[in-house]
Amino acid sequence: MLDADVEVDRRDLTVRAALAVAPGERLALFGPSGAGKTTILEVIAGLVTPRRARVVLGGRVLTSTSPPVTAVPPWQRRVGLLRQHPGLFPHLSVRANLAYGHTAAGDEPAELAAMLGLADLLPVMPARLSGGQAHRVALGRLLLARCDALLLDEPYTGLDASLRRALTDLVVALVVARDVPAVLVTHELADAQAFAGRLAILDRGRLVQTGPADEVVLRPASRRAAGLVGYRGFVPSADGAVAGIHPERVVAGAQPGRGVVLSGAVITCRPAGAGWEADLRVDGAVITCRLPDKPPGGEVAVTALDPPYFGPDGAALPAPPRQQVRGR
Amino acid sequence: MPAPCPPRSRVSWAARAATAASGTVPGEQAPGPPGSGSPGPGPLTRPGRVRSVSGLVSVIGAAVVWIALLGPVIALLAHLSWHAIGSALSAPGALDPLAASVQAGAVTLGVLFVVCTPLAWLMARGRLPFPRVWEAGLLCSLLLPPLVIGLLLIFMVGPYTPIGELLGRVHLSATNTFLALCIAEIYESAPYYVLGAQAAFASVDPRLEQQAELLGDRPARAFRRVTLPLATPGLAMALSVAWARAMGAFGAVVIIAYHPFGLPLQIYTTLQETGLASALPFALVLLVVALPLPLAAYGWSARARRRRRG
Repeated sequence: MLDADVEVDRRDLTVRAALAVAPGERLALFGPSGAGKTTILEVIAGLVTPRRARVVLGGRVLTSTSPPVTAVPPWQRRVGLLRQHPGLFPHLSVRANLAYGHTAAGDEPAELAAMLGLADLLPVMPARLSGGQAHRVALGRLLLARCDALLLDEPYTGLDASLRRALTDLVVALVVARDVPAVLVTHELADAQAFAGRLAILDRGRLVQTGPADEVVLRPASRRAAGLVGYRGFVPSADGAVAGIHPERVVAGAQPGRGVVLSGAVITCRPAGAGWEADLRVDGAVITCRLPDKPPGGEVAVTALDPPYFGPDGAALPAPPRQQVRGR
Repeated sequence: MPAPCPPRSRVSWAARAATAASGTVPGEQAPGPPGSGSPGPGPLTRPGRVRSVSGLVSVIGAAVVWIALLGPVIALLAHLSWHAIGSALSAPGALDPLAASVQAGAVTLGVLFVVCTPLAWLMARGRLPFPRVWEAGLLCSLLLPPLVIGLLLIFMVGPYTPIGELLGRVHLSATNTFLALCIAEIYESAPYYVLGAQAAFASVDPRLEQQAELLGDRPARAFRRVTLPLATPGLAMALSVAWARAMGAFGAVVIIAYHPFGLPLQIYTTLQETGLASALPFALVLLVVALPLPLAAYGWSARARRRRRG
């Protein structure tokens, strides 16, 4: 169990967050750049001195600013941190890099290397590795160093999507097999969802929402959280409330049974992936929707599937306001 | 693909100035772009091929400059005869200055390595307050002409100074002794070593040290397993530059350590007393003694770099 309650001053903001991750559980810490995600990981790893914090890992108190004051140094924490920069030691071969923090005897390094697809690369120097290979070596090195928690700080930024997915699946399998708590920091929602069962949204140093990955996206706690998970349009409803429209939660045509029917004029339309992305002007608001077919020009009707509503203060409303959003 | 990231450590302008001397490039140990191992045609992947007229002109120009720089060495070899070498070196006591220089040089290297390596590391990692002040101080001693260093050393460790009196109480003297020779050589070569070593440490990515600590190494162990091996080629180059400075030290030596005779002084006095021709063999001795260490360090660091590229 990783339990972290952290308050740390940065130059621009104070980061305050509390996380609890069970063994084998994967939590994604999601938020925009500069929100303080990495800072939290660095406090857990012991690289940053917090103003106030309590970090407990598997019953061991790693950091405590209240008596008895504790600050276990990084080399005694057994916390694995994988960053975007894999940080392989350039003067050591892949084999020596893998075994760097490995103290126990046995065939584990060889077995893990085979599992990571590195068996043929053991005598190679890190400068010869591709980006994906370097990350696999860095991951294997962490796992062999007996870490009790795995912290991943945007490790796959800069790798292509398929490689990213393959590495994510690998990490997930390893975390589950070894039963360690894992935290992934990312600003890509897709990466967060591919990795984690639970999502925590961090914004400007504050946790704005924590919950199951689907719930956080379908029921954002606030308008700000909705914006962070991809809601791109907010259509006025009754009593100053707005309905949040997610581009991927919109279907073409009027289907009153499935959600809110909106109609509006197409402003722009562009190809997006295998379909089309169109901006519509609805009730003075602009919404973006992903549609499988190119919408015809002029007025079109779309249905927003069960949208979340937000009050004038930005907080989510438990139920839609009485008067539904009306199309024009 | 991740671009090679520059190390976060501070590489000062002074360290950059010393980089030329130490032969390491800051940030060089950041990993290259992945897939750089794939060989391909094109001028970029085949350096050293002359493919155009302008390439040929630049090679010829470089060769002219190189030969001009080597001119003194060529002149030395051209004007030496085996007979002159033999008679000069077989004179009684002719090799004593060589012994004095080598011994003092070895002491100098030992002291520099033990005393100045930690200083260089602290400066490279920005662990010292007012870093510019430290660098400026080193630059001052780098810029002082050796002759002036010698003059000032008299005021510092001469027999009528507090330090000189302290030394006198334990029956030591820092003028015209082996100790004086060592002190003069240390003062002449220290700034070269510190700035070169600083550049060597600055070229080690601090994130690697942090990673080693996260993998369970105490800082001292991480230093031994990661920082030191990565900085060693640069440190060796800095040491060999310091060695060359110490071997050739003349200005400070002539003031505070005229005796025991070092090699450069032997050359000077031979020149004064018996003329150019008889001084030349000792110049060759100086070259032969001072050169192998820098050459070995250079070859060794080049090999370490090649090995790292895989």
